[in-house]
Amino acid sequence: MSNIKIIKGAFESKLELQDASIVAGFPSPADDYSHDTLDFNRDFIKHPEASFYGEVEGESMRDAGLNDGDRVIIDRAVVPHDGSIVVAWWDGGFTMKYLDLTHRNEGYIELRPANPDFPVFKVDNPEEFEIWGTVIHQIRTFEKL
Amino acid sequence: MYGIADLDNCYVSCERVFRPDLKGVPVVVLSNNDGCVVARSNEAKALGVKEGTPYFQLAQQFPNQKIAVFSSNYELYGELTSRVVSIIRQETPAYFRYSIDECFMYLDGIELNQLQQWGEHLHKRVKREVGMPISIGLAPTKTLAKIASKLAKKFEAYRHCCMIDTDYKREKALEWCPIEDVWGIGRRYSAKLQALGCKTALDFAKHHKDWVRLTFNNINIVRTWQELNGEDAVPNEQLATKKSICTSRSFNGMISDMDTLRTHVSNYAARCAEKLRQQKTVASIVGVFVNTNMFREDLAQYWNFQEARLVTPTSSTISIVKAACEVLQSIYRPGYQYKKAGVIVMGIGPDSPIQQDLFDVNAEQIEKMRRLDEVVDRINRMHGSETIVIGSQQYTRKDGKGKAEVFANAIKHDFKSKNPTTRWSDIIKLK
Repeated sequence: MSNIKIIKGAFESKLELQDASIVAGFPSPADDYSHDTLDFNRDFIKHPEASFYGEVEGESMRDAGLNDGDRVIIDRAVVPHDGSIVVAWWDGGFTMKYLDLTHRNEGYIELRPANPDFPVFKVDNPEEFEIWGTVIHQIRTFEKL
Repeated sequence: MYGIADLDNCYVSCERVFRPDLKGVPVVVLSNNDGCVVARSNEAKALGVKEGTPYFQLAQQFPNQKIAVFSSNYELYGELTSRVVSIIRQETPAYFRYSIDECFMYLDGIELNQLQQWGEHLHKRVKREVGMPISIGLAPTKTLAKIASKLAKKFEAYRHCCMIDTDYKREKALEWCPIEDVWGIGRRYSAKLQALGCKTALDFAKHHKDWVRLTFNNINIVRTWQELNGEDAVPNEQLATKKSICTSRSFNGMISDMDTLRTHVSNYAARCAEKLRQQKTVASIVGVFVNTNMFREDLAQYWNFQEARLVTPTSSTISIVKAACEVLQSIYRPGYQYKKAGVIVMGIGPDSPIQQDLFDVNAEQIEKMRRLDEVVDRINRMHGSETIVIGSQQYTRKDGKGKAEVFANAIKHDFKSKNPTTRWSDIIKLK
């Protein structure tokens, strides 16, 4: 083992656990049942080309469990529906709110915070507004390594 | 059928992904060192901003216009465009990335009557998922596909995808296309063709093949003629490798000392080596040029270019930087104010078994260098470019104590946007 060095880098292929078995030992009976290791990127980021990260700032989505400093994963390939948490460009910056389509037929939509201390935005001018993407995951770090 | 996907105003579109408020307003992107305009939005083009306009003239030329200005941010452009290429990979039977903003696609396998719809779908998908507009040209040859993509970009009725699939459409497209805009016709040939009465691509295509052959005696021009007439003639392999790679910059201000000049040239040479490795090629000639500011007639003028032949063709950073520095040493003259320098590598061939020169038999050494470059490239990809550089690439620190600054910090980029796709510290903030 002394001549094996671990370097941090971009590896073309993943390390397969079965490859790490000891040479000359008995073959593991589990080899016949091998299955790929769970992989967050593979299983939770379904559209890597359309996925972006964002950081929550402030308390406007507190009651949805989204706290200041949390990170979220935004998927632009996912079409938002009524009640989705979306990222929108509004008033010169990005905002994250619930999408409320109740009044769509009356010519406006609403962006609802999850905190009674914050206002509901009524959007009736699509010119200065854009739904940028749909929030699909949240990441909160409890232990800084 | 061939297709080409062309990113509209690529750098501007990249900047707009994280700035939706810049939709519909004039935007320009500046060259390295904030020298001059290298990319313009349609609104900036409509205002009359020309490519190459020096930044300092922008405010003078357009005093009452609000133009959004960005320094170039290649880290961002590289990441976003590779997302687009990744979508193209999923949607096409085969593809080849031709440049940062162009991708050729081989579409055999998609039904002809489905192609128009397929192209519109591809545009919609890229627009929705990455947030950038593309124009798609479809035609039986690559040269015609390029013209089709220009039509798709120019006329909204095509809905971002133009297909040349009949002779009638082909002639209409060629009639519309000025000869200088034809892919593969350089500035020199287009001047000659115009002098011979070929104003449009159609004028040229209508000539007899023998006339083309006799007038130009150049295989590439004949191929272009064939392609305009619907005959697939430009070999696909020809796209893959560039004949020469040049990295050059105008300095921010002027430079007279050899030390700073050498650091710049080292960086350009290192960049050339990296590009060679990216396309898995090696070069056998390294050329360096320097010139003074020709607009400053009050100053002494000097320019020079010289090249060195490498004993063994290589893509090694150390060898190419060393050769470039030697050439620089021979063309450098003290007492001049230099404005620009550049490194060109030529004699490019595939990085397969390199012919070992009789006088350079140190195969073990070559192999070591190759492995070193591989590791350095990998680390720089992972941790950001210029994480590892060689000594001569480092600039003197601002406080004058030793050398530690890398190129990215030594150039001017006052209007650079963030990197929300490559750095955690820059991800978008959600209020």
